[in-house]
Amino acid sequence: MTENEYIKKIKRAKEELILNDSLVNYLKLYKGLQDINLNVEEKKIKIAVIGDSTLDGVKEVLNVKCRILGLYPLFYIAPYGQYAQVILNENSALYEFKPDITIVWINVDTVFSENFYLPYRLSSKNRKKLVEDCFKNITLLLKKISEGTDSKVILHNFQMPISSSMGILENKQEYGLVESINNLNNKLIKNYQTDNQVFIFDFEGFTSRYGKENVTDLKLRFSADMRLKPDFIPKLCDEYLGYIKPIKSLNKKCLVLDLDNTLWGGVVGEDGFEGIKLGPKSPGNAFVEFQKVILSLYERGIILAINSKNNPDDALKVIKEHPYMVLKEKHFAAIKINWNDKASNMAEIANELNINLDSLVFIDDDRTNRALVREMLPQVLTLEIPDDPALYAQTLQKLNDFNILQLTEEDIKRGEMYAQQRKRTEFQKISLDLKDFLKNLNLKVTLSKADKFNIPRISQLTQKTNQFNMTTKRYLEEDITKFSENKNSLIFSAQVEDRFGDYGLTGAVIIRKDKETWVIDTFLLSCRVLGKEVEKAILAFVIEQARKDGVKRLVGEFISTKKNTPAKDFYKDNKFKLANKVNEKEEWVFNMDTKHDYPDYIKINLRV
Amino acid sequence: MNKIKSILANVLQIDENSIRDETSPENVESWDSFNALLLISEFEKAFNIHFDINEVMSVKCVKDIKMILKKHGVETEDE
Repeated sequence: MTENEYIKKIKRAKEELILNDSLVNYLKLYKGLQDINLNVEEKKIKIAVIGDSTLDGVKEVLNVKCRILGLYPLFYIAPYGQYAQVILNENSALYEFKPDITIVWINVDTVFSENFYLPYRLSSKNRKKLVEDCFKNITLLLKKISEGTDSKVILHNFQMPISSSMGILENKQEYGLVESINNLNNKLIKNYQTDNQVFIFDFEGFTSRYGKENVTDLKLRFSADMRLKPDFIPKLCDEYLGYIKPIKSLNKKCLVLDLDNTLWGGVVGEDGFEGIKLGPKSPGNAFVEFQKVILSLYERGIILAINSKNNPDDALKVIKEHPYMVLKEKHFAAIKINWNDKASNMAEIANELNINLDSLVFIDDDRTNRALVREMLPQVLTLEIPDDPALYAQTLQKLNDFNILQLTEEDIKRGEMYAQQRKRTEFQKISLDLKDFLKNLNLKVTLSKADKFNIPRISQLTQKTNQFNMTTKRYLEEDITKFSENKNSLIFSAQVEDRFGDYGLTGAVIIRKDKETWVIDTFLLSCRVLGKEVEKAILAFVIEQARKDGVKRLVGEFISTKKNTPAKDFYKDNKFKLANKVNEKEEWVFNMDTKHDYPDYIKINLRV
Repeated sequence: MNKIKSILANVLQIDENSIRDETSPENVESWDSFNALLLISEFEKAFNIHFDINEVMSVKCVKDIKMILKKHGVETEDE
């Protein structure tokens, strides 16, 4: 099979699964997709699944789902019933496999054993002890995995029973069975709340959503220890995908919305301002609710944009003046209301926001528009939205493509920052001269020492910044913490704001000190603050500090990559001289007697 | 019978024309214990019926499946 045939096959599989997502269909497709190995390191994902019940089908479904996402999955499935041996034995195949993600699915009746069925043989004191013992055992197992691998660990929480021998008196018992399992679940949540390796998957919530009696076929459970009906395996795997996507950085950042029959009912050009359906009465209330869900995503940091075929004046009047619009003009980072085709608008939105097409999600009620965008821009995730507007909100809530593994201050503010950027660009259009523009921006740069508040963000910046990044060295939080504690290094972050708003923490510098020589190990700036000479101001600070410290030699490192051309001439433009070049690595030296001033229109705030 | 054959062929990934009454786990490699359960689920979905646990355990070949389906009122005769 050639790569082209494979891509076609994947596309067909995708279409078939939209029509029929039964387990049998996945198993059929699975066979046809295995002859090609996309052996690209960044596409590889190693998935381990460990459980106490029958896991048949999970591997095949996850494999197909991962391949549809463009990934190349590898699997380790623990042998039936051997979860504890596999985890506790440090030489087991699990550790040899070196998973990126490990799913642990143990059922509550295994953990509680006989006490699950006969809890009231125990005193309430002993039930409490039982929960504590279970908690200890589970956290011990997880500790083994998190210490023995670099894997993210996804632990199923425990499903609540649907009946009790105590009947209506179940919750009158001190530390009853339901309360015990609830407590165990809550203890696990608390225990891992700030842990960025272990995640608790709400399996109890998952089975509740579909109905506990409905997700299990008891005869399959008794005859084969299958805990879910076959056709719920794909639904369970979707939940796992909610973790796999952010691990492989496949998460989406921006939601692009149509207007007519999407954000409101009807067509404003035909029905008029007063005729569209949006408000407290049905069906307008379904659109109000949909907008509220979108707003909640915006407040979590998702960027919003509009892509609508409309008369701009009509549509903008609704956005600006309609009393029941939940979403306001200020929430949108890009607004394309015109008569161009939706695919061109989409490309323009990506370009304007400087984000990749594959970070976009598109919602449009019109099938033709969806088909067009799907065909022209397959990188964009075009949602298959039901015809009934009553289902819009729920469909969006189920989407797991916005998932991220960690939420920083900057992530939360992203939607707002991009929307402010639109205002800035409009302002730039009316101010003629760049110098004047920058002067009128009232730029303020705050430089702060690395501390426990900004360390996660500094690490994230080193991981994600590709363009203005002199060395592209990737550092984990632990590494940043080490730098901050080391006397021979100087590490600080830069936060940038202007008259339109706060860009957040967008720059970082790491310097290695060796007596009278300072080496700039890392110097990076997020691309959204480029073009304002902020980098020049930060460098001025570095030089000033070096002078104060009596440094004789200030060295800037530059390592060339495919993506960091915007940073290529930075040291040269700032009067550094090239001293050494080995392969991709250059060393630039600054003569400490050279003058280097802060740009006069940038205000510097020091917290170093 | 056509619908039954097509389910068997679909789940076991075998040729529909090769299916006989005697077709069983003995002569079809893909008819393992997991696929045996998938078959039951697929028949239940297709004909909107429910097998009980004894019926599940009693299936040894295609003929057995047809007998159970018949008991549940499904037309199984060849057209």
